[in-house]
This record gives sequence, C-alpha cells and structure tokens, in this order.
Amino acid sequence: MKLDRRFLLRGTCQGAAAVMALPFLDCFLDGKGQALAATGKRIPTRFNTFFYGLGLTKSLWVPKTAGLNYETTIQLKPLEPFKKKMNVFSGLRVMVDDNPNFQHWSGVGASATGISPSKTGLFDSKTIDQTVADVVSRGSRFKSVAAACAGDPKQSYSSLGGANNLPAEASPLSLYTRLFGPGFQDPSRTDWKPDPQIMLQQSVLSVVAEDRNRVTQHLGPSDKARLDQYFTSVREAEQQIAAELKRPDIEAKVDIPTAPDEMVVNSALPNMRKVLPLMARLGALAMATDQTRVFNLSISEPGSQMFVPGDPLGYHQSTHEEPLDPILAYQPRVARYNVYSMELFAAFLKELDAVPEGDGTLLDHSLVYGFTDVAFAKIHALDGIPVLIAGGASGRMKTGHHIVGDGSPVSRVGLTLQKAMGLSVDSWGGGSMETKSPYTELLA
Amino acid sequence: MHNRISVAILALVILACVGQVPASAAGGEVVGMRRLTEQEYRNSIADIFGKDIAVQGVFEPGKRIGGLIEASGAILSITPVGFDSYSKMADSVAVQATSEKARARLISCKPASAGQPDDACAAQTFSHYGLMLFRRPLTGDELQSRVKLAASMTKASGDFYTGLRYGLASLLQSSNFLFRVELAVPGGAKEYTLDSYSRAARLSYLFWNTTPDAELLKAAQANELGTPAGLATQVDRLMASPRLDTGMRAFFSDMLQLDTFDNVSKDSLLYPKWSVQLAAAAREETLRTTIDLALHDNADIRELMTTSKTYINRNLAAIYGVPFNFDEDWVPLAFPPDQGRSGIVTQISMLSMFSHPGRSSPTERGVALMDIFLCEPTPTPPNNVDFSIVNNTDGPLKTVRERLMAHATNPVCASCHTHSDPIGLSLEGFDTIGRHRSTENGQVIDVSATLQGKSFVGAQGLGRFLHDNPKYPACVARKLYSYAKGVDSQDVELQDVKAAYKAFGDSGYRMRNLLKAMTESEDFFRAAPPAVAAKSTKLASQ
Amino acid sequence: MILRKRLLAFSSATAVMACLSHPAAAAPWVRGFVVGTYEYAFRYGGRAGYSRPGEIEPGSDCIHGSTIHFSNGEQIRRALKFQSWRSPEEIDMVSTLPTLEQAKTPDQARFMIWDRAMSYRGWRRGIETYINPFAALDPGQPQVVSRIGDGFNLDGKVGTNDFVSPDGEKGIDNALYRAWGCDAPWRGNGNATLDMRSNDKMQEGLYTMVIRISGNQDPMNDKDAVLEIGYSPDKIIKDARGNIATDFSYRIVKTEQYTRMKAKVANGVVETEQVAELHAPRIAWFYDHAGDANFHQGRIRLSIDADGNAKGLIGGYRNWRDIYAQNTFAQDGGQQGVREHEDGVALYYALKRNADGMRDARTGQNMGISTTYRITAAAAYVVDAKKPAEITILTLEEKRRQAYLRIVANMIKATTTRIPQDVTPGTSEGAYPNMERAIVGMPSADYFLKTLDRPHFDDVQEALASK
Repeated sequence: MKLDRRFLLRGTCQGAAAVMALPFLDCFLDGKGQALAATGKRIPTRFNTFFYGLGLTKSLWVPKTAGLNYETTIQLKPLEPFKKKMNVFSGLRVMVDDNPNFQHWSGVGASATGISPSKTGLFDSKTIDQTVADVVSRGSRFKSVAAACAGDPKQSYSSLGGANNLPAEASPLSLYTRLFGPGFQDPSRTDWKPDPQIMLQQSVLSVVAEDRNRVTQHLGPSDKARLDQYFTSVREAEQQIAAELKRPDIEAKVDIPTAPDEMVVNSALPNMRKVLPLMARLGALAMATDQTRVFNLSISEPGSQMFVPGDPLGYHQSTHEEPLDPILAYQPRVARYNVYSMELFAAFLKELDAVPEGDGTLLDHSLVYGFTDVAFAKIHALDGIPVLIAGGASGRMKTGHHIVGDGSPVSRVGLTLQKAMGLSVDSWGGGSMETKSPYTELLA
Repeated sequence: MHNRISVAILALVILACVGQVPASAAGGEVVGMRRLTEQEYRNSIADIFGKDIAVQGVFEPGKRIGGLIEASGAILSITPVGFDSYSKMADSVAVQATSEKARARLISCKPASAGQPDDACAAQTFSHYGLMLFRRPLTGDELQSRVKLAASMTKASGDFYTGLRYGLASLLQSSNFLFRVELAVPGGAKEYTLDSYSRAARLSYLFWNTTPDAELLKAAQANELGTPAGLATQVDRLMASPRLDTGMRAFFSDMLQLDTFDNVSKDSLLYPKWSVQLAAAAREETLRTTIDLALHDNADIRELMTTSKTYINRNLAAIYGVPFNFDEDWVPLAFPPDQGRSGIVTQISMLSMFSHPGRSSPTERGVALMDIFLCEPTPTPPNNVDFSIVNNTDGPLKTVRERLMAHATNPVCASCHTHSDPIGLSLEGFDTIGRHRSTENGQVIDVSATLQGKSFVGAQGLGRFLHDNPKYPACVARKLYSYAKGVDSQDVELQDVKAAYKAFGDSGYRMRNLLKAMTESEDFFRAAPPAVAAKSTKLASQ
Repeated sequence: MILRKRLLAFSSATAVMACLSHPAAAAPWVRGFVVGTYEYAFRYGGRAGYSRPGEIEPGSDCIHGSTIHFSNGEQIRRALKFQSWRSPEEIDMVSTLPTLEQAKTPDQARFMIWDRAMSYRGWRRGIETYINPFAALDPGQPQVVSRIGDGFNLDGKVGTNDFVSPDGEKGIDNALYRAWGCDAPWRGNGNATLDMRSNDKMQEGLYTMVIRISGNQDPMNDKDAVLEIGYSPDKIIKDARGNIATDFSYRIVKTEQYTRMKAKVANGVVETEQVAELHAPRIAWFYDHAGDANFHQGRIRLSIDADGNAKGLIGGYRNWRDIYAQNTFAQDGGQQGVREHEDGVALYYALKRNADGMRDARTGQNMGISTTYRITAAAAYVVDAKKPAEITILTLEEKRRQAYLRIVANMIKATTTRIPQDVTPGTSEGAYPNMERAIVGMPSADYFLKTLDRPHFDDVQEALASK
C-alpha cells in the first residue's frame, strides 16, 4: 500500500484538528493494527512525561473524596474520558531543605528527579524518564524523544543531570523528520541487529547455570527443591534474553514522501491546540512502531508563557497580576488557563488511547507522568503541587484513584512509576524527599 | 607456542590460587543454604568492594518465622523476578568494580595487554574475589569457567576489563554468593559439624552481619576454628570490635520486628504529627537504646524492661512532649516521670508499630509483645468472628478496654484474648503514636491488668512483670540461637541452649556473655546429618 | 488613658483571683511559640459579598478600592505623561506596545518594557526612579480613610491621624496602615498577595521567628514576666495537614534579631514593656531582604489560648526608608510595580508624608513611621543552644543579598543627599538585562532598546550575571 506521508500533516494545515486516519497506522503495522503483539512477544511498556507550567487552582481541581469514584472537578473535567485510566495526587509536598525555593524551578526539579535543585535551571540528577529509558529502551531505535509544543527546543525536562538537557523537537516537521525521516528503522528489514549487550549477558548466565551440577550433589530434599527454584529463575532469565535476540515480526511497507508544510509554533493557544495533537500523534506512532519507548512532551517553560491572542497579559503574568476574586477566592482568568492546560493534556492522552495494541491501547501499555512547577503560581508556593498520571503500565499500575498526599514528598510518585515500569529500584530522590515508600496500593 | 605456555601458566596459577583442598571439597555435605538478607548483601559488597560501590535494586522480601526474618532465609529461594534483580545488581557492581576509577584500588594485577585476554591476571582476580564472595576458595572448575568466560568476553569486546566484568558478574549472581551454603563434615559419632569456612561465615554474619574478613578467612583456612582456643581467639576479636554493633543491630532489628514500620500509617486527620521521619526516628531510638544497654553499658538485659533512659532526636521530642536541647542530633532522655513509661515497651516504636491508624490496639500490642519478648505467639482468630460490636466507638462501651472486656466473657474468645490483651491494656495510657494520655473519649483510662495469674498496673507494672519473668531472658537466648542458626525459634527448646543460657544467667543476663558462651558451645556448629528425612520438608517460595 | 487601662487590667485580675476557688501555686513557668503567620496589621474594610471581576472592591478603609497601577496601557500612559522630557512618540510606543504579539514571549516583553519605562520617571533622563524616588513627581497614593485600626498607642498621645482600636482604645499609632493600607498587594480579606507569599516562604523555611515567655507566678497571670523574641536557625515543621506542628523544639539565638523585654500577663494576655529598640525578624519573601525589623519604642501584645497557641500584635516605629527599600527592591522596583500594581514612588511619598516618629534632631524630619504587625504562633519549646548554632549561608543567595544591600545603600544616600545615584549591578533593577531577553522577536524591539533609559554598567558580563 503506497503511503503518502504528506497526508499526515496536510489536513491540519488547513485548519482542521489533526486526526490521523487509521489506515495510515495500518501501513506501518500488520493489517490488524496489532503492533508488536503479533509476534507473541510481550508488548514493551512505554513511559511518557507531560509538562505544563503554572499548576492548577486548588479549590477547583482537588476532589473532595479520596480513593476510587472521586467526583470529577471542574479542572479535571477535560480529562474525564480518561478518568478510569488515571490517578491524581493532591497534597504532595516539595521539601527544599537547605536550598532556596527557586521560583518556577524547584517544583520542576523535585518532580523530575525527586531532589530539591541546588541551582536554578539545573537538575541535580538524571531525570526520571532517563532513568527509565536506561532500562526499558534496549532494543528500540531511540532511547528517548522529547518534543515541545511551544516551539522552543530548550523546553525539555529530559536530562542527564546538570544542564545536560536532551533538546526537544520544536515543530511537528522536525519531530516527523526525526522519527520517520531518514534512518526510520523498518523492523522488517533483513539487516536488523539485536543489542550486542544482550548477547554478552547470555554468556554470563550460562556460566552461572554451570555451577548447578557441582552444588546439587549432596543436598537434602528441601534444599534441593530450593536450588531447583533458583536455577529455574536463571533459566527464565535466559529465555527472556533469547526472546530479545529475536527479530520482531512486523510487516511494514513505507514510501518516503515529500516534506510536509511548515507551521507557526509558539505559545499562542490556538497554535498550541493545532500543534499538540500532531506531536502527540507522532509520538504515539513512534512508540507503536518501537522507534522509541520513552516520549517527553511539554507545552511550556516553567512559568508558562501561554497566551490567548489579544490578551497581552498572558498566563504567567496573570498568575501574578490577577487578584483573587473576593467571592470566588480564586483567580478566574488564571483558572481558565489552568483548564486550557488540562485540555491539552487530554488531547495527548487521546492520541495514546487511540492506538489499538494487543488487548487494549497504547495508553494501557504506557505510563504518562504529568507534572508541573508550582502548586499556587501567584506566590510560587509548592505545597500541594499537583501530579496527574495516566496509563496502566501493561497491567502493573492500578488506576482510577485520587490519592491524598498528607504531606508526603512528591518523589513517592516517581518511585511508584519506576516500580510499575519494572525497574529494580528500592529508593528514589534525595534529601528529605528521599523515599523508599511507593504507593503500594497502586502497584498491581 | 605462546598459547601452550599461557595454558601452563594458567594451570599453575589456578593450582596456586585454589590452594590446598579444604575439608569442604573433600567430603562436605550441604546442610543448609541461607539466602542473604538485603543488609547482609549490602554489607558484604561494601566490605569486599568498598563503600563507594552503589547497590540499587529490589531484594526479595523475607518472611517472619518464629518471630525472626532471618529464619526464613533458610527456607526461601529466589524467584525469577528476584533473580532478575540480583542479576542486574551483579552486573552493576561488576561494572563499577572494573571501572577505571576503581581498578587501581580493586584489581591488583595488570594485564600484559589491555585489549587481549590475560588468563593469569584474570585467574588471580577471580580467585581473590571468588574466595571472598563464595566465602571459601573456588574449586578448580569454578575458577576455570570464569577465566574462560573472561577470555571470550575480552575477545568479543576488545577490552580486558570488560572480560573481568563479566567474570565478576557471574560470581555475583551465583547461588554460592546469594546463599550462604553451609557445608558440614562428620565430627564424631553420628554427628556432623560445620566445616571451617562455614564456621567463619556463621560467626561473621552473627557478630558483624557481613562476610568474613581477611583475618577470619585466614583462620578458617588454617583450621583454627576447629579448636577451642582458636575459636575463642576469633570470637573475642569479633566481639571486641565496634562492628559488633552492626551485627547486634541486625539481630535486634529482627527480634523487635522493627521492619513493621515499613507498613505503618496513621490517620493524618487524627494524628497529623505522625510522619515518615518520625517513624524512622522511632526505629533508630529503639536500636540505639538497646545496643547502648546491651553492649556499651554491658547491662542486664532485663533492664530493657524497666529503664527510663532513652535517646531522642528533634522529631521524637515532640511526641514525648519534652524540649530538645540540640546538643547533638541524638541526645539521651530520661522518661518524664509523670508519663509512667518503663523500658522498651513504652518507646514510641513498640507503641505505634502494633496499633491501628486511628486508635490504639491493646490486642495487637499484646500479641506482638508476647511474641517478641516471651516467645509466645498467639493463634489467629476464628473465621466467623463478628467484629462490629467491639469496633463501634459510638456505642455504650466508651473505652477500648471496655470493648475488649466483652471478649473475656465469651469462652471462644477468652482463651486467646486473656493470653494477650492484658499486656496491651496496661499500655492504654499511650495513644497510637505513643503519646501519653490519661483519658479516652472523656473517660479516665484504667490501666490495670492480670496476666498469667499476676496483676499489675500500667506500663511500669508491665515493665516489672516482664523484668521478673524468666521467660523473657529465655526468649532472648532462644531467639539469638535461632537467628545465628537460621531456624524457627518455636522449634528451639531451652534445653538446646542450656549451657549458653546458664552462662547468661550466671553473668547477670549480659548479652556479651550469652554471645560468647553460645558461639563457643559444642552445639553451635553442630548440624543434623544430611539426607535424613526427619524434618518436615518446608518448601516455601514466594 | 493608659492609666485607666492599667487599672482595668488590675481590677479584672483581682476579680479573676477572687473567683478562683484556690489561687494558682506560684512556680517558675516557661511558654514557647513559633510564629506561623506574620503580616502587616491592616484592616480590610471592603463589603463582604461585593465583587467586581478583577478588582478588590471599595470599602470603609479605601473608598476607591485598592490602588491599582500599571495594569493597562492607559495607566502607563498617565504615569509617562509626568515626564516632560518624553516625546509623545515614546509615550505612545510604550503604552500601546505595537507588534507585541510577535515577540516570542509577549507577556514577558510587556512586563519588562513597562518595568524599564517605569524605572525612569525622573525630572530628566537617566535618573533611575526607585533609587531616586524624590526625583519623580508624587503620583499620589490614596490613604486609608477609616478610623478603626489595630495597634498600640506608641507615643501616649491621641493624634488626629491616629486610629481607634476595635476595643475602643484611642490614639492608636499605625501610620503605615494609613499610608499603605490601600496598596493592592497588601490589601485583602486574608488573601492579600504579599501576605500569602511572605507567609508561605516563611513556613517553607526562609526564616523562623520564635517567642519565649517566662515568669515565676502563673502563666495566665504574672506581674513579672519576661518575653524574648528572636530568630531561630531551626526550620518550621509542618504536620500532615499542612499546619504548623505543635510541641517541636526551636533554638532561639542571640543574633541582632533578638530582644528580651519585661512583660505582664493578665488573664492570658501578655503585654510587654515599651523598649527603645525591639529587634526581631522582619517580613520577607526572599533571602536578600530578610533581616531585622528594628521597632523603635516597640511593644508586643499576645493572647494565649487554652491549647497554648498565641496570637497578637507587635509594633513600633520603623525607619520608613527601610520599609520602602524592603518592599521595593525585593526583586526590583519595576517588577513590584507592574506585577503587584503598586507604584513605589507613590508609596515612598506616602511614607514620607505619614512619618510620625524617630525625629532627626538635625534635620527636623521624622525618620520613622508607626507600624503594627499581626502574628499567630503555635505552641513550641523554645530552647537556648548550648553549642553555637550553625546558621546556613546560601552562597548564591548571599551574593544577591550583597547586591541588594548595595542598592539600598545607594537609595539611602540619594534620598538623604538628594543627589541622584546610579543603579548598582547584581540585581534586576531597571529590567536590565531582562528586557533585552524578553523582547526577542518584536519588530519594535530596537526602538525600545535605543529609546528607553537603562542602567549602565561598565562590565556587561557583570550585568548579565546579575540575574
């Protein structure tokens, strides 16, 4: 089937919302739209981050009930279609310890690394998506990909630590080029090579397995059974490795079309509403075809500069300049911007949920970590910094909960996410936010 | 030509490294395999490779058997998920150990060429670390297979140290490292006794909670641990070291079930002061006071029940209701007299671990303390119990005590509840986070109790009762013995520790005397003859 | 008046004593508190239930509502018209900001252009306004018109500008309320922006203020008590519900922010003596402008409730130039202006006009203005440290603090000598180089770069490093 990739972007440039027709997807995959499941191989779990600046409005977003079946609040309404696949966290805390509260930064650093940053603009360690990518990205083409809907490559919260941020693709075209341009790895090509590291690990395990004969000679029956169990585990590890050495079984026929059109990418809301679904769709397709397993999407810098054309005040300035309405006790204009951010988040989740995969969707086989920079932007307060996560992590994350933090450090969520991704990690974060307690009630 | 010479050299090196064949390879039977706990694993890696090596990963959880998690290491195995984690950790440690930074410190030989295999150097390295990791010398086969692996990895990667890395990793994920394999040799009529290296391991993990150090390994190789004098020398050395604190912390942490804190949460509306930091502080408080009393002051272990001395930090001060003087991070405190506290059972840890999120639980406290200190666990409640009456705080029964007394009148309930509730009832003067209180729901709390025929009032009465109860030091002795040997304390009779217990008592119940007498007694290294199906096959894997 | 109040206190004390079935045993007692909220004691007079979107409504305190400056182009235009040396073109360009939408960050561009423009409103070009507020015309700051205010009668007199307390006490000296009570960021019914911000930062760990009261008779009634107030190096601990946790221990250290005063307690209300200089921490929301409040003729009144928590007032005369500096140079004058909608120049003149104490004999001017602050405090153990307490210095913040002190020194020099002083490097005063960064993408950027005055530093790198 001849594929016209121009089709990908043309519909959007004419002003319509970007909804990719499914046949496009099928060209990359086998006709049933069952991407990697067709091989019988376990579908890898993907990790996504979504950054939006300036937080939310507490009185409008925090549900009054905790646990399952919490009421949908005004600011969570745009996310209602995905409520059952999400968990929301209120009442979390950022402990800055001996560091200052860097305006619009400490919350970002804390959410992304679990550590209160010691310098503004810098991360004190690798960010969570990189820690996850270190483990789950073996075998995929790109270790991770980052994209910025506001058009600035510096708006990336994916970092190796310090100032080593991985730059974000700043337009749909550049993202498209990166993912599906030259170098697009068609998994059905004959020269596909497995990761050499995997082969070396195989040799190690066979030496370990050799120890068996020597040890088991003189064992009593119960100890023999226990050793059997141990060596069964070794064997399982060997089998897992053998699976990773096999080429994935995907049929795909792709034509390289001409380059798609340019578009204006900036912080104007109407432009973001066009750009985000595109970038989200591209990211979803990239994950579905295993170009990457870690995708980072941001819609702003910390202290978001999002604005509605005609309104010179913009989002950030509004948070500082708009007074609290004396009756409502919140900032009405700021609250509207909060909702715009949630609508964009919902558009991202929509694209992930629109890709059927195995017995569910791409979203079911992913985790999405939605974090921000502040709890109350007007005064740069961090207490109650919101965290929203989505996705079932291929069954390892239970969803549908509102968790009340009770002053827990925000790093607990990051630890929970890593465990759900299958990372062998017992603690995360630093200083007072170092935690060993994941939310076990969410881990299946 | 070159190859033949290097093979010959290799053979010599292997022979040299393997050394004289120890008793283990000759006729050693495996009489026990004890999975390393997380702390034992970490301490061993730190001692073998240095504290700079980071160990990050998930460890398989243990199960409490006879009140001790240590006992489960003897019956649990390693699941695929667990092995996956151990495998990754093994690789991570090996990568760090062979990194450029660490090489100079950890690898004493240099390869002839950095990109080529060097079997002599590889053999020397694996022999050295194999001895430390397996806690005995490697057999010829074991060493050979690692050297071969390293050579082929070096060829595949073009780097000698990469080869070393994979060889080390294979040692680190071997069952011989992850389990303490205890080998025994015949030692007298119908008896088996642990071989030299197994003795070293048992002593080292008991006293220091880590792998045998170089001196202990040397003593093992020279068979010194088989003679009373040689054994005493090592026991005295191990006990004189400040590292004894580490070993005893691990023991008391296990016996006092301090890992319960991993699962404690309190209702934040009712008890907003409770926090994770407070839980960690309470844990440390109990360990500090116990080690201080048992080891540093070398006091009578029974005083743990009556002492009014404890250690607090800033967090704990707020719960005890006293000012904190900031002299150090931890300062000693004498319990305020009007709070009626007495000993370890009234420390915040014991009071909060065995208690509900929203209110205190005399039953839970009673059950836990009977189990921990008197070695008397309580059976689980019957299946068809209706808890609604006793859990209703709005009913006519205002205090927890009143609601519990309803159990005493019901014969089905009474048998267990009269066994365990009294201890908890005497502690009702403390709420679920360990703060002192004198009223509950407006009513004055009655803290009198009767247990095993003895009546006492309040925590101080309880402290006296436990202090005077011979079952308590007996329980300490039984649990220490079970911890050291990795067995179920419920299966250990006082008879089994007779000699050690006598020495304990004669010394005025001093832990050091118990430790010395126990480890130097004939029974300590005795093992049941293998392949005898006398014990029930407890197959437990999670 | 004062005498009558004391008599009242005395007679009520005896009445209480008579009512008690047995007198309280005399014994040494100590009570400690850690301050959880610390705000200007302004009273909000707006009508409850009145709302006009985007404005804090008028009321008995401010008949025109909160004063709002620089919130739109018209207000900017009005401010720019005062400068006779500005061309009409410049006034137009700055207030209408053509091509703003094409800036990469339009709201930052607007913010910074206005910041810079408002920072240069002197009688001629090149005089930075916030360091030299006297060099600009007074735009006028509406005062609080109501008669009721919280505070103390500091001078013992009943003046025409004084307030009456809610309890009916006349002669209350709280001229700062008069001067600044309508200022937008400080006016609100429990939600004034800068109140919220400074409390949040204090609770987060910026500084800790503690109080200790002790005596030998009875904590509820003691004629001979002692009150100590000061800075604590120990961070505030909050509980799981977000409140200040009670019963935690805090060290009180005898830094320059410490004072010990005599006090009397009657029915749980503590009244201290009036001291020449009451040193205590001051309100702050950044590290650089935190420090000593230094109340002259200072006093404290606290009432303690059954749970052992306290609330009350602390007041005295404060050097009004200090108050101006701490409020204006928190980030920079222009930012305070455009973001918080306050005009530092207007606030300066308002302070000067209402200054009512600390008379300078040489110049005959009042150097101080009467102020009152409201505090609430949670029960705590306040202890003396036996070892010297380590106070954490944050190196980067310290650099910024030195820069702040330099700029304040320049402002003091300027207002005393009336010789215009320059902006010193190290802060973002004059939006330099922030405006340069923010207007990227605007076609009219060049115009603003060339036309608007800005600070001139010899070392451009110094300027760039100063943010």
